[in-house]
Order: sequence, then structure tokens, then C-alpha cells
Amino acid sequence: MKALYVFGNEHLQEDAMARKVAELLRGKVNIVHCRSPDDLLEADESVIMILDVVKGAEKVMVITDVSRLKTGNMMSLHDFDLGFFLNLMQQLGQGKTIKIIGIPAEGNPERIAKEVERWL
Amino acid sequence: MPTITLNHITKIEGHAKLTLGIEENKVTVCQLGATEGARYFEGIVVGRRYNEANELTSRICGICSCAHVIAAITAIENAIGFTPSEQTIKLRELLTLAERIRSHATHLYFLALPDYLGYESAIAMAPKYKKELQRALNMMKVGNHMIKTLAARDLHPVSAAVGGWLKLPSQDDMDAMGKALDGIKKDAEDTCKLFFSLKYPDFQTEGLFFSLKSEKEYAMLSGNFCSGDRCHAPEQYMNHIAEFHQEYSNANYATEDGKRFFVGAIARLNNNSKFLSLNAQKMLKLSKIRLPSQNPFHNTHAQAVELVHSIDHALEICKTLKIKDEKIPQIPIKAGRGVGAIEVPRGTLWHEYVVDEHGVITKANIITPTAQNLYNAQEDIRCFIPGIVHKTKEQIILDVEKLIRSYDPCFSCSAHFLEVEWV
Repeated sequence: MKALYVFGNEHLQEDAMARKVAELLRGKVNIVHCRSPDDLLEADESVIMILDVVKGAEKVMVITDVSRLKTGNMMSLHDFDLGFFLNLMQQLGQGKTIKIIGIPAEGNPERIAKEVERWL
Repeated sequence: MPTITLNHITKIEGHAKLTLGIEENKVTVCQLGATEGARYFEGIVVGRRYNEANELTSRICGICSCAHVIAAITAIENAIGFTPSEQTIKLRELLTLAERIRSHATHLYFLALPDYLGYESAIAMAPKYKKELQRALNMMKVGNHMIKTLAARDLHPVSAAVGGWLKLPSQDDMDAMGKALDGIKKDAEDTCKLFFSLKYPDFQTEGLFFSLKSEKEYAMLSGNFCSGDRCHAPEQYMNHIAEFHQEYSNANYATEDGKRFFVGAIARLNNNSKFLSLNAQKMLKLSKIRLPSQNPFHNTHAQAVELVHSIDHALEICKTLKIKDEKIPQIPIKAGRGVGAIEVPRGTLWHEYVVDEHGVITKANIITPTAQNLYNAQEDIRCFIPGIVHKTKEQIILDVEKLIRSYDPCFSCSAHFLEVEWV
């Protein structure tokens, strides 16, 4: 079964959607809840599929070009975020394809889950 | 030259602010403070059960959450008079080493190295330094995996508990961790060679270098708090370490018997180098530094040596520890005070708790390495500036940031307010 790396915080309303949607996809993909970007260090798939909320997104989108992700300078280890990490992985040319399924922060989780399923 | 204010010092843990005033080549104002919000953790744990301190205080910081867990457990066990098994201690050592490997690899390559190679960030470095950054990721991955194996999570561990471990690793887990550690030994040695080849500013701090020191090992979870032969028993720390507050910082400052001091990897090396693993001693000989070093910039050097030592030490535990099925015993609670002093990536971490006869925490005190280093770092900046005052404002800022980063500070952990008694 394919793995889906899920980012988000169930305690923050604006960041909880990916966790809700992932629960609805259980059984269709292997859900891996990530607590930090470092968790991707252990991803050994050639295509790494990530589910995360995209700020300002109104519909489900797929991002494969990680250079589109906004990254700030590395100020501290607390800035070691997903954008920084994915950019670094790409720069290092690890031969992995990154596929980010970006979802809106708000909306109907069932409807969003159905749309996400199309991209799995 | 006008006042320089660095509102957000870059590439350190958390947030810090430095205000510098320079007039006629003299430093008139030098204020280094943490601007993180107050954390109140010592207040949060008061009134909670003795076995909750470790889980609550692990939330002080994601980067050093294992450190706070082990320090809290050690202090609580000392307070209630519980002696853990040898296996429990070995596994706590292993967890602490895993976090040190992850933290040092991250600090060295992602925060310190860009400074020395003239890049703004690790991403900017990546096209030319792929091999080096891959090395860092290899070591971080092993550290992360070990923490997850031992503590059930890579951040904010939950398996380590007062009295023992809620879940033990299997012997297969130990073998797998050993194999992974074997695979990064060369990465650590190459890290030493890389960091030994960099040029460090020639600067001597006036601060004393303190760390735990033991007569039998490279001290990590026990020992006296020493600078050379000047030693204090951990439970006496309050008689020697004084914390004070400045209005410009949310973190406390600390002195040892009125003097400023430094904690961290170079202090550990100064005090304990004869107990380094053979490989780490070999690496140390390749370096140009001579111990005891008074140069805070050598902390980076020391972290590289500690990577080699930590991997060797962790490997030895993985190879020799035969896991026994130990359950956490029923612990009779008695009232008491306990101190936990342990060596964590950034220096000595102190947790102190007072527990009543019902097992409720009635007092807590936590002093992080960054809080202990803050005053020394501030005064080092004051002494460092005259040597670089001829440089441009931008170069001065860069050099000062480099000095602060050599301390590997974590301002998120250090911010807490003094207890105030209203009269």
C-alpha cells in the first residue's frame, strides 16, 4: 500500500484539515502522521506523497515543483520546516519525486477526501 | 559609530536581541537578551503529580525534549529516593546520546557551517556541498530513528518514565541501532576533519568552563559540576549558581560564585577529554586546538569530536546491553527534594523538584544551558568588539552573530521570569 505522509496539527483549526481528511482515507493508503519534517528522512519510497494544508488554497492542488514553496532563511532549528526540508532534499538530488497534495484549510472533509483520492 | 540593534539574531534556537552601543571605539552598551515569551513551566508543574514533570517539561523545546525528560526524571527519582536499574540508566544514556548526535549534526551543518563557508543558509550551500549536507542528514536520520525506537516518538518522548521504561526496545532494535551507528562512524570522522579545517577567530573568554565531571567516564548523566578542580555536588548547585534578571531579557542570567561561566561541548572536552573514546581521542589529536581551550569558537570543534565519541559510546551500549524484561516497580512515595543535573547538547541542564508526601510537586526550578551561558556570551561580545571595531557595521554584526552561534544557544528553552514575592 502506498504511504501518505500527513502534516498538520489537530489542535489548530487552521491546520487540522489534513489530519481529518487522512482519517477518511484510512485503508486506502498507509497513513503516516508526521510530527516534524525530519520524519521524511525515513521515507524510502521513490515518490513521496505528502498531504498538507495550503494557506489560501480554495481547492485541492498538487505541487511537484518544490521550488514553488516559500522558504525563509534558516534562522533556527525551529525554522527547519517542510518547505526548507523539501528544497534541501531536491537540491541534494536524492532521486526522489515529491508530490504534495495541498488542501484548503476549511471546507467539507468528506468532499476534500474524495478529491484527494483522485490524486493518490 | 551609532547604536547597533540586532532585533532578530539569525541561525540560533528561538529569538534573541542584542543592543550594542559603540562610541569612539569603546563599547558603551552591550545587552544580549532572549525575547521569547515567558514560558512559566516551573509554575505549570507545581501542583502536578511527581510522574508528570517529565512529560510536561519535555514541551519546553522540541529540539531538546529528551534532555528535559531525562533531567526531570533524574531529579524526581532523587527527590523520592528511588534508584533506577542499570538497564534503565544505560537506555537513558542511549537516548541522551541519540539526541546529542541529532542536535550536533544539525547545529554544525545547518547553523554553523554556512557562517564559515560564507553562505547565507544551508540551501544556498547545497549545490556545492551536497556530500557534506548528505552526511549531516545521515547522522540526523540515525539520531532520529534511535529516539523514535527508544522513546516511541522522535520529539517529546513518552516511553521514558520515573522508575524505568514504559516500553523497552527489543534486542533486535538494539542490533538495528548498532548497525545504523556503524554506518555513520565515517560521517562523524569526516565532520571532524571538515570543522578542523575551518579558520576560527582567535579569542579567549574570561569565563570559566563548567560541566559535569566524573572519575570514571565522559560524564553525562551524573558527576560533580566542575571547572578543572573546582567542583560542586549537584545538590548544592543553589549555593553556587545564582540567577539574576535584566529588564531587557525574558531569560535569566547566571553566575557561579559571582563569576561568569560557559557550559557546552568545549567545557565537557576541557574537563573530561581523557574519557573520550579512542576514535574521538584520535580525532582530537588531528585538531589544532589544545585543551583546556578558552576559545568559545572552539565549541563547534568540540561538538564534532563529541559526534565521534557519542557514536562510539552509543555503539558500545547497543552491542553490550542484553535487554531484560523489566517492569516499572511500585514506587513508595516519600517527601523530598531532588536535583537532576545532566549534560545535554548545549551544556549542563538543571531540574530541581520538591515533592510532598502525597507525591505532589510543591517547588520546581529549571536552569537551561542557554540561561547559564547568556551572561558569559554578553560579556564575551563586550570583550570581542574592540578587536573587530575597525570593520564595517555589517562585518561586525556577522562576527558577533558567529560568536553567539558558537554557543549553540536555544532561547526558546531559556525564557522564564523570576519568581517575584509581592510585599
